[in-house]
Amino acid sequence: MIRFVTSRLFRAGLTVLSVMTFAFVVLRMSGDPAQVLLGPDVPQNVVQDFRDRWGLDDPIWRQYLSYLQAMMQGDFGLSMRDRSPAIDLVMQRIPATLQLTIPALILQLAFGIPAGIYAALKQGTLADRSVIVAAIVGFTVPSFVMGLLLVLIFAVTLGALPSGGASSWQHAILPVLTMSIGGIGVLARFSRSAMIEVMGAPYIRTASAKGVSWSDVVRNHALPNAAVPIVTIVGFMVGSLIAGAIIVETIFSWPGMGRLLIVSVTNRDLAVVQCILLLVAAVMVVSNLTVDLLYGWLDPRLRQTTSAH
Amino acid sequence: MNMNRRHVMGLMGATASGLFLPGHLRAQQSRPSIRIAVQQVVINNTLDPWNEQSNVGERALYPNLWEGLLLRDWMGNQGPVPGLATEWKRLDEKTVELKLREGVKFHNGDEMTAEDVVFSLSPERLFGDTQPAGGETIYAENFSRSTGKDIPAAMPGIARRKWPSLAGVEAVDKYTVRFHNATPDVTMEGRLYAGGSIVASRRAWDEAESYDAWAKQPVTTGPYYVDDFQPDVSLTLRAHEDYWGGRPPLETITFVEVPEVASRVNGLLSGEYDFACDLPPDQIGTVMDAPGLEVQNSTIWNHRVNVFTQDHEQLQNPLVRRAMTHAIDRKAIVEALWANLTEVPAGLQFDSFRTSDMFIEGWEAPEYNPELARQMLQEAGYKGDPIPFRLLNNYYINQVPNGQILTEMWNQVGLNVEIKMKENWGQILAQDSPRGVRDWSASNTINDPISPMVVQFGPNGSAQQNREWTNVEFNDLCQVMETSTDRAKRKQAIARMLTIAEREDPAYNILHQNAVFTGMRSNLNWKAAPAFAMDFRASNWPGQS
Repeated sequence: MIRFVTSRLFRAGLTVLSVMTFAFVVLRMSGDPAQVLLGPDVPQNVVQDFRDRWGLDDPIWRQYLSYLQAMMQGDFGLSMRDRSPAIDLVMQRIPATLQLTIPALILQLAFGIPAGIYAALKQGTLADRSVIVAAIVGFTVPSFVMGLLLVLIFAVTLGALPSGGASSWQHAILPVLTMSIGGIGVLARFSRSAMIEVMGAPYIRTASAKGVSWSDVVRNHALPNAAVPIVTIVGFMVGSLIAGAIIVETIFSWPGMGRLLIVSVTNRDLAVVQCILLLVAAVMVVSNLTVDLLYGWLDPRLRQTTSAH
Repeated sequence: MNMNRRHVMGLMGATASGLFLPGHLRAQQSRPSIRIAVQQVVINNTLDPWNEQSNVGERALYPNLWEGLLLRDWMGNQGPVPGLATEWKRLDEKTVELKLREGVKFHNGDEMTAEDVVFSLSPERLFGDTQPAGGETIYAENFSRSTGKDIPAAMPGIARRKWPSLAGVEAVDKYTVRFHNATPDVTMEGRLYAGGSIVASRRAWDEAESYDAWAKQPVTTGPYYVDDFQPDVSLTLRAHEDYWGGRPPLETITFVEVPEVASRVNGLLSGEYDFACDLPPDQIGTVMDAPGLEVQNSTIWNHRVNVFTQDHEQLQNPLVRRAMTHAIDRKAIVEALWANLTEVPAGLQFDSFRTSDMFIEGWEAPEYNPELARQMLQEAGYKGDPIPFRLLNNYYINQVPNGQILTEMWNQVGLNVEIKMKENWGQILAQDSPRGVRDWSASNTINDPISPMVVQFGPNGSAQQNREWTNVEFNDLCQVMETSTDRAKRKQAIARMLTIAEREDPAYNILHQNAVFTGMRSNLNWKAAPAFAMDFRASNWPGQS
């Protein structure tokens, strides 16, 4: 088990380092932050002053080494826009993003999985078809279309909810719904498939033949076995929630990390972008690591395989 | 008026709070508050106009927060009007003396004096170690650093662009200051009202921990003070009760950053916002059709242009550039993309030049003449080599469709112009090959053609500093414009500069005047200025009908 965890941690670290390196190189190859931040009308000597001050004329390998060295000391650099520590700017925005992503994740789990299981158990019926159609609509409509549609209905037409901003809890309703709907659709579809596959397995037939009640078959045999693929997809969804927040936060003017990322990329605010990407990569890696560990808990066969190795 | 749940709740809340408040607070409460959806509040996260050199910054910072000794007449002819100074006079070609308005209070309660003005134009605040053109800085003893605050690297350069030759400001007495230039300059008064004399509280600066902390909550004399500023999110200004110009009509003004056009429009339609700025022309109909809403449009002191690069092999020949200027049907663009809500200017000239008698009457944008363009290309021996056109994704309103139309028009006369989409200004201005033509805009800030012709295309303008274009005779004439006090000679110089930059050796291709469109609740009766700035002083707030 220790070897298993160690190898996963090593891979996680490597992934984070790769993301950092990639972001570092790409950001510096795609435009001069000095010119972007100072605009087109500023004299060239001003631009040069800025480049000198931020070390942008140093060879890229030297910039990279300095960056890594600072990172090792917990220094994520300063924002070029307002000269605050990049980590402070990011940390200020995390609560707002969590205010959307956590309720959205809870809604996805609360509605997506039960809906999928229900549809699988009612396979071929009208209820099954209805769930499938709703799920397909949910995950095929892009979030920016869904968001605008919800605003049009609930804010513009009905006047029941705010269209954007973050000044009250009501302002969170539409963005949370927008973020949830796609995920509910995805989870419903995967849960249904996983359950249908498990329900057709020989051990389910054996359990039924032995006279185990239908509800016990589902609870004790079907659900635990269907959980592994569902956990896999939930792991991906947790990791991608922050990425999904970018679009939703933009549509609803929600002051979270997604908005900060957009603004920082546009302005080539290198330290802030790198900080956010690092955080997103870390969330991805941790959620995948958690999924890997959950596999072992959910499926004893995987534990045994790991031990044998 | 349409009432929805939030309107009713707001009304109930306002009523309930009014019942329990003391009389003097009820009087304050009766002032309305407004919410304005904007694409961006400020670009660089400070509320210091010297650092925030942008159109969006003008909207958030003028005239509600910052004020100068002379003010721009935002709702009138855009010329100078008394502000924190009540009168001004020329002492000589290099010196202007101003009498300060007495009894002006900063947001912190201090009275504004000459010391604050001297500080506001000091090396400590603006110029750093830079020296004025044509002489040494005088009055250096007035500007010794007392706090060691580190101003942003860009600021001294920006300050010198606005005041290239300002040697210093002298406090003659408590209510009198003198602006001393190192060289003669007929545009000193213009620079004063074009944001060049804004005043900040010296004490507030000294008490701030850092420049960044100060610049997020500057203490000024404006009708509204900074109540809350959340970078990239919102800015709330609150009424300054001791404002010298009388009681501000609004309790708060909140600029909310809503980057998506559709979200701004939806917010306006749903009643979330009272104003929605930066609307593209294609959204005007949606807003105008909604009950109780209207769109205010106005042309602004900004012309859209394309900048030519002389180091492109084909564009070295002025005939090719001239052909490009004659291939464009500007009226068709204004009609197709702007619904005729803006106009084709008389070259790189603005109406404000008329107030200083520097407008060249009879001068026009290059004639649309495709046949002439083809003829010029033939004379130039142009063989269809590609000319790259660097374009940003709608940094300017309608930029991409405008770029596509231009390219088609150029291609119609035989030019092979290829659009190269770029992501940011760094890529647009990169001095790598190949580069041919790019988009830009030229702003006029004072009633003199020095802005933008000299400022943007002169020897120290971005175009020449970026090695895109240069012309020896043009540069000599820039010197005349900057230092001569002979009006006739200057007018002759600008006429010749227009001929060079738009006909003989084109530096740019003039397109059309820019315009802004603001959606708003009709019953507010507010009027938009011909600028990005939004005036919420009492003189432009008649109140709800």
